[in-house]
Amino acid sequence: MTHTLLPVLIMMLIAVVVGVVMLALAWFVGGHARTASKQEPYESGVPSLDENRKRVNVRFYQIAMLFILFDIEAAFLYPWAVIYREASTGAQGMFLFGEMLVFIVLLAVGYVYVWKKKAFDF
Amino acid sequence: MNYILSITLWLPVAAAVILLFFPKTAASAIKGFGLLASLATFVASLGILNGFHEGVAGLQLTESLAWIPQWGIRYALGVDGISLWLILLTTLLTPVVFLSSWNTIHKHPKEYVIAFLIMEAAMIGVFVASDLLLFYVFFELTLLPMYLVIGVWGGANRIYAAIKFFLFTIAGSLLMLLGIIYLAFAHFHDTGVLTFTITELYGTTLAPHAQVLLFFAFALAFAIKVPLFPLHTWLPDAHVEAPTGGSIILAGVMLKMGTYGFLRFVLPFFPDATAKYAGLLIALAVIGIVYGALVAWVQPDMKKLVAYSSVSHLGFCVLGIFALNQTSIEGSILQMVNHGLSTGALFLCVGVIYERRHTRLLADYGGLAKTMPVFATFFIIAMLSSVGLPGLNGFIGEFLILAGSFQTWPRATIVAATGVILAAIYLLWLIQRVFFGPITKEENKNVREIAWNEVVALVPLVVLMVWIGVRPNVFLRKMTPSVQQLLQIVHKTDAGKAMIAGVGRRVSGVGDQNRPHEAMLRPPTPDPRLPLSGGVR
Amino acid sequence: MNWNDMIYILPEVILTIGASAMLLVPVTGGRGAKLSAKWMMIILLAITAGALIYCSHAVENIDQSRQLQAMFALDGFSIFFKLLFIGAIAMLVMLSEDFLAEGKYSPWEYYSLLGFALCGMMFMASGVHLITIYIGLELLSLSSYILAGFYKSELKSTEAAMKYFILGAVSSAILLYGISLIYGVCGSLNLLDIAAAMSTIVTNDALMFGIMLLGAGLCFKIAAVPFHVWTPDVYEGAPTPIAAFLSTGSKAAAFAIFARIFYTGLHDFHLEWNYVLATISALSMIIGNLAAITQDNVKRMLGYSSIAHAGYVLLGVISLNALGLRGILMYSVVYVFANLGIWATVLMLRRHQYAGERVDDFEGLSRRSPLWAFAMVIFLLSLGGIPPTAGFIGKYFLFAAAVQAGFGWLAVIAVLMSAVSMFYYLRLVVAMYLREGVEAEFAITTPLRIVAGICLVVTLALGIVPSSLIDQAVLSSSHVAAHAALTPHAGR
Repeated sequence: MTHTLLPVLIMMLIAVVVGVVMLALAWFVGGHARTASKQEPYESGVPSLDENRKRVNVRFYQIAMLFILFDIEAAFLYPWAVIYREASTGAQGMFLFGEMLVFIVLLAVGYVYVWKKKAFDF
Repeated sequence: MNYILSITLWLPVAAAVILLFFPKTAASAIKGFGLLASLATFVASLGILNGFHEGVAGLQLTESLAWIPQWGIRYALGVDGISLWLILLTTLLTPVVFLSSWNTIHKHPKEYVIAFLIMEAAMIGVFVASDLLLFYVFFELTLLPMYLVIGVWGGANRIYAAIKFFLFTIAGSLLMLLGIIYLAFAHFHDTGVLTFTITELYGTTLAPHAQVLLFFAFALAFAIKVPLFPLHTWLPDAHVEAPTGGSIILAGVMLKMGTYGFLRFVLPFFPDATAKYAGLLIALAVIGIVYGALVAWVQPDMKKLVAYSSVSHLGFCVLGIFALNQTSIEGSILQMVNHGLSTGALFLCVGVIYERRHTRLLADYGGLAKTMPVFATFFIIAMLSSVGLPGLNGFIGEFLILAGSFQTWPRATIVAATGVILAAIYLLWLIQRVFFGPITKEENKNVREIAWNEVVALVPLVVLMVWIGVRPNVFLRKMTPSVQQLLQIVHKTDAGKAMIAGVGRRVSGVGDQNRPHEAMLRPPTPDPRLPLSGGVR
Repeated sequence: MNWNDMIYILPEVILTIGASAMLLVPVTGGRGAKLSAKWMMIILLAITAGALIYCSHAVENIDQSRQLQAMFALDGFSIFFKLLFIGAIAMLVMLSEDFLAEGKYSPWEYYSLLGFALCGMMFMASGVHLITIYIGLELLSLSSYILAGFYKSELKSTEAAMKYFILGAVSSAILLYGISLIYGVCGSLNLLDIAAAMSTIVTNDALMFGIMLLGAGLCFKIAAVPFHVWTPDVYEGAPTPIAAFLSTGSKAAAFAIFARIFYTGLHDFHLEWNYVLATISALSMIIGNLAAITQDNVKRMLGYSSIAHAGYVLLGVISLNALGLRGILMYSVVYVFANLGIWATVLMLRRHQYAGERVDDFEGLSRRSPLWAFAMVIFLLSLGGIPPTAGFIGKYFLFAAAVQAGFGWLAVIAVLMSAVSMFYYLRLVVAMYLREGVEAEFAITTPLRIVAGICLVVTLALGIVPSSLIDQAVLSSSHVAAHAALTPHAGR
């Protein structure tokens, strides 16, 4: 049991060692010029233009959450499709199709609700 | 089938329901109706006395209806020599309460009367229930009205006293509930019949350790109610804060629910544990007798004095019960009634002067016999009854208890007898300080003499004190067979065993519907020490 | 599985359609918005109850073994609880009227959420499969989170919702982890299959861990110590009707799944979990009751008291006998009615959003309204288990079950803690009867009167003539009891 996991352990060890060595080299070999401009955060090599902690309109989150909700619910269609392919004949197929319709309708209810609540408006 | 027990039990409840429709302001009508209802109940209870067959040991006038059939819980009533006089005491004291508080209760008279009527019904229920769970229901039901009586109409520190009273009692009785459940299951385990009927449970065999545990579960509940020595602390508080009517009922009847419980349940259910721990309870009782008397001696407050004297007197009752012989137990039952009469009268008298002078401190009185001669006469008779003067009721009860317990517990009895002497000291001293000597306080010079309603309330009590004192046999005769039967069960004599087996049959001879279950009629167990029942699984 | 099986979940289907429709009414405008949301909800509940009763008769003729592929059972146990839930929600609808009448919040959304919560509860009661139970639980929980924060502009309400949501989400995760471990060992999530698998397992650490996590998640839902910390805060912050909902309906649903899972699925491992649950039960009773003593806020007091009551109900689970199972059913009924009555009385004292909450607010209630003060006393006595109220019958069952199962020590703790609980229940009685109150405003509206009246009648009637409820509980629990291989005794 143990020997099968040994390569994984070795790989993890190497990863740790490489990381530590690279940081240590940079520390020992590189110069240490701690000026104010050096301490500033930067993004993609460009100095940042203003505060990085600023308020974002809550609607961004709202939209993001709604997106995730509907996105994940749509993902449920895939496992359904797999089963439906196998059992799509006869009464059982109609039943499965009906079930998915129910699911979609429930999603639609939620969609209409957020839409009419003006959750998508800016 | 005779429904007299149910009638007595439900009359006050019906009256209380009718009272709900009275307007709040019609105080005299409410009080008058309450008095009338309680008198009617008293008359009904005379019907019980009338229907009672002397010389029959078991429960009489029984009624039995299925209440919760799934568990064999029945609405079963019955009366025997042990409970008969306590029922009458209850129905007698309730009109006394209404009479005594005719002019003193101004706050919420409607609720006051309703509370006392409900309480009366619950107390009657406690004494007539012959189903263990029904008994428990009534036992708990007495608490709330008394709690409200103390809490609403009581003195300055009433809330504390009311809560203390409630919590003390409920803690004990809830443990008893567990005991009841366990007992019923043990009986079920033995016989396959789930029942809570007391007479059927009498024969339950219990493993020794279970018997001891159950003994303490039951004894704790009743010892708190009595109250026995270390558990008595709620009593002085409750009495001092309670209104006069509340004190009369509390001392007169409620404390007896504890001693009655010992007689009805603890002794016959757990004879082995009783034999084993009788010494402990007797020790506590004797400590209570002496301690109560000594503390009463030094009380500056009249009501507290009477309250501690109750602790002392109830100690005698417990002593009599656990001496386990015919004389002492009969004396104990009689003493319960006596205490109800004399202490009820004493609390009533204390209430009378408190009403006039608004103080209960002994130091504030003196020479009242000159201003209130009639009142002084009543007070002194009640006091002498409490002291145990020959010719009055207290003497008979205490004498029987001491004579009986001397046979089994001579040393404890000698110590207990000092309680009688101490009672004479503190009560006579009370009388001397209140009624005799010069009038030292200006206010005492023209105190209003006792009023008609108070006289009417006191007269029956005094009459009974003399009656019991002169003709105790009238009262004792009715108890004798029941006490005999009880002792036979406790001592596990052959006759007792036969009686356990045939107890239902004996009762059914009096004309009731309570047929014993077949399983009850099994032969008695040969050796009680065998661990027949290790309790339920 | 086919369309015919839909008959089992017809009530839930109706409820879902109704609740969805109610959600859309306010946003789509039109004629519907003029209708009374309250009456629509009552009608919906009535139809659901009718459908439930119809289905329960109809399915008698259908083969019971299939039951939606062993996901969902329409047995006596579930019907008993579902009717209780519908009744509780109907009363909550009545209780909510005042709160919604302030007009700040939309009643349609509120009732729709209550409908979805009810749907979740009904699935929980019927679930015989851990996934069904979990989904039902989540539906209930998600609706409850939103409802707890329904006072969007109140800081307290938002805080309550946040606490409830975060702790609830963690506990759901724990529950799910437990479920997955049990699946890993037993190979199925159907409770009967789990029971069958367990009967062949002597001991298995992963399974034990799974049961432990499952139990922890469930204990969070019923607010048992040490998973109780959210309760007082949430009860205090949530709108009063919602606190009432959390302490009655939602709690009874959690009791139902607790009973179902442990009686049907895990009874073979009784010896492994009973002492753990016994400890939790003892702690709940002790800490819940002792903490309640010092509370001046009635909602917090009821929160702690509900923790203690969870401890009492656990007695029924621990005992694992027929008496205990019936005790859970009985106690749920008794507890729901007594508690709803208390909440109705609390709402009567409402002057503005958070009034009627302090113990002082009850002062002098007996003078101002003797009937409702008396009703309150009865409810409190019922919670304390004092005869002749229904609470006594419920407690009797649970104590008797514990004594029968050999948990005498736990029963002793339970009765002692009942005595302690009387202390704080009496504080309210003291305030109502023994203190002369200020003439505070007091609003008894008809719906509150109806709810308190129903609760009063039920609490007293079940206390005085409990036979019919006992019979019903025996009948309803027989199916579950049979699975747990409990030997029914005559008369018990």
